[in-house]
Amino acid sequence: MAVLEKLLRSKVVIWILLVLPGLWPLWPIFIRPNPSVGADPLKYILHHFGFTACVLLATVLTFTPLRVLWPKWGIAQALNRHRRLVGVVSFAYAMLHLTAHLVYETGLDWSQLGHVFEVATTKPFQLVGLIAFTILLVLTVTSPNAAIKALGGKRWKLLHRLVYVAAALSAYHQAAARKVFPMQVVWIFGPLLLLEIARIIRERKPKPVARKAAGNAEA
Amino acid sequence: MLIRTKKDWELPESAVTSESAYRTHNRRDFLKAIGLGAAGAALASRDLLAATGGFPAKANPDFPASALKPTAEEFVTSYNNFYEFGTGKEQPKDLANRGWKTDPWTVELTGLVNKPVKLDVNDLIKQAGGIEERVYRHRCVEAWSMVVPWDGFALAKLVALADPKPEAKYLKFTSFLDPKSSPGQSSGNLDYPYVEGLRLDEATNELAFIATGIYSKPMPNQNGAPLRLVTPWKYGFKGIKSIVKIEFVAAMPTNTWKAMQSSEYGFYANVNPKVDHPRWSQASERVIGEGSTFIPKRQPTLMFNGYEKQVAALYKGMDLARNY
Repeated sequence: MAVLEKLLRSKVVIWILLVLPGLWPLWPIFIRPNPSVGADPLKYILHHFGFTACVLLATVLTFTPLRVLWPKWGIAQALNRHRRLVGVVSFAYAMLHLTAHLVYETGLDWSQLGHVFEVATTKPFQLVGLIAFTILLVLTVTSPNAAIKALGGKRWKLLHRLVYVAAALSAYHQAAARKVFPMQVVWIFGPLLLLEIARIIRERKPKPVARKAAGNAEA
Repeated sequence: MLIRTKKDWELPESAVTSESAYRTHNRRDFLKAIGLGAAGAALASRDLLAATGGFPAKANPDFPASALKPTAEEFVTSYNNFYEFGTGKEQPKDLANRGWKTDPWTVELTGLVNKPVKLDVNDLIKQAGGIEERVYRHRCVEAWSMVVPWDGFALAKLVALADPKPEAKYLKFTSFLDPKSSPGQSSGNLDYPYVEGLRLDEATNELAFIATGIYSKPMPNQNGAPLRLVTPWKYGFKGIKSIVKIEFVAAMPTNTWKAMQSSEYGFYANVNPKVDHPRWSQASERVIGEGSTFIPKRQPTLMFNGYEKQVAALYKGMDLARNY
């Protein structure tokens, strides 16, 4: 446990964990070619990046509730050092996902780009993905310390609560990407939902008077 | 696009087909030579199946390989939608070949017909007058397409065998039900058995085809062994796989995908670039196996998948945006 905690505190380890999923498609496309992937490699890449973005977004959002629920747990503390990094990399995968979609739909014929965006804004499934992406874009742009200062802590925090909207929209977008409901959405977003519910219950319980005392005891 | 080209009578089979057939033979010989007993026996029995199924089939010059470029065989047999064996494209190739028995196979022709019959698939092929090869475009509702050299016989021949009564207006096709062999059925990812339907006049259209093979070989399990429906002017999900029953009925049958989500999938499922799926556009399609790894080839989707000439008359006066 202590070893894991030490590893998770390290920025290098987290960077490796974040970059590796992006390299994964190289395996079935080039290293051990799989014809099921080779039939439509960019579609595979496109889905893989979207999947990774969802996993990272759902994962980073569990960090805070984990710390609230188990404040003394070293792993939760270690993970909370990397909230901003994991969040920004989640956006990076969302951007790769969108880029892959644009290349896939246009086949690099950019005269089709207008049409692709027109489709994206008229189909709820795609529009929802685009809104989630836009939210993540805004949050990424406002993630540097300078932006926090410029906005003021309170306003910044309020703005960054939008990440929960992005997560909910991503879950819908991922579910709607398949013809039948994909169970993976439950595995990815289910734990987050449970943790958030537990966190809300925990934060509500000791209402007005006891709240401060409980907070101090935990700290 | 024209598919009837008289000159094609003279042309030999496409290079892709013959080359892949050649490769397969080599592999069989190789496996036998190195003494892979079980694998050798399995392949030998497949050779037997090929012979009883009438392979290799003669190409039908009306639907020649030379007019369209067939998709690489390994993609056609590795990129499959066969939800009975998983919703992933790569799953059917694996999960449909773990002991699911497709030989022997019995097919039942029943309902409003004068000659109801239950018979072995090889007898059906014989009674239908043997098999032929046709190269068709294949367009999936998910906006990708392939070109497949199918082997089989015209569905019209099967209809003639059953001899429908005047009150028969539709065909209802039912696929197999065997949850023990089918992980998709045991997990219930759709309502099974899979059901599809055609109007009688659609079924007797010259394009409607019962395929018993691809690439001059018996149908691989993952592609719907031992026999499946092929209606090239409709989206792929109409092409019900591994048929066990064909019932002639008076009322329009409810097909599986329509029952699942009627706002997205209808009875007709005709390929139509102007009628979008609610979640994506149908205006163009990704051509499987064409283009480079990172820059896929796309092409505009054709009305009725390029078979307007043969089938447009079937839908005269119908609102195709409503009857999707």
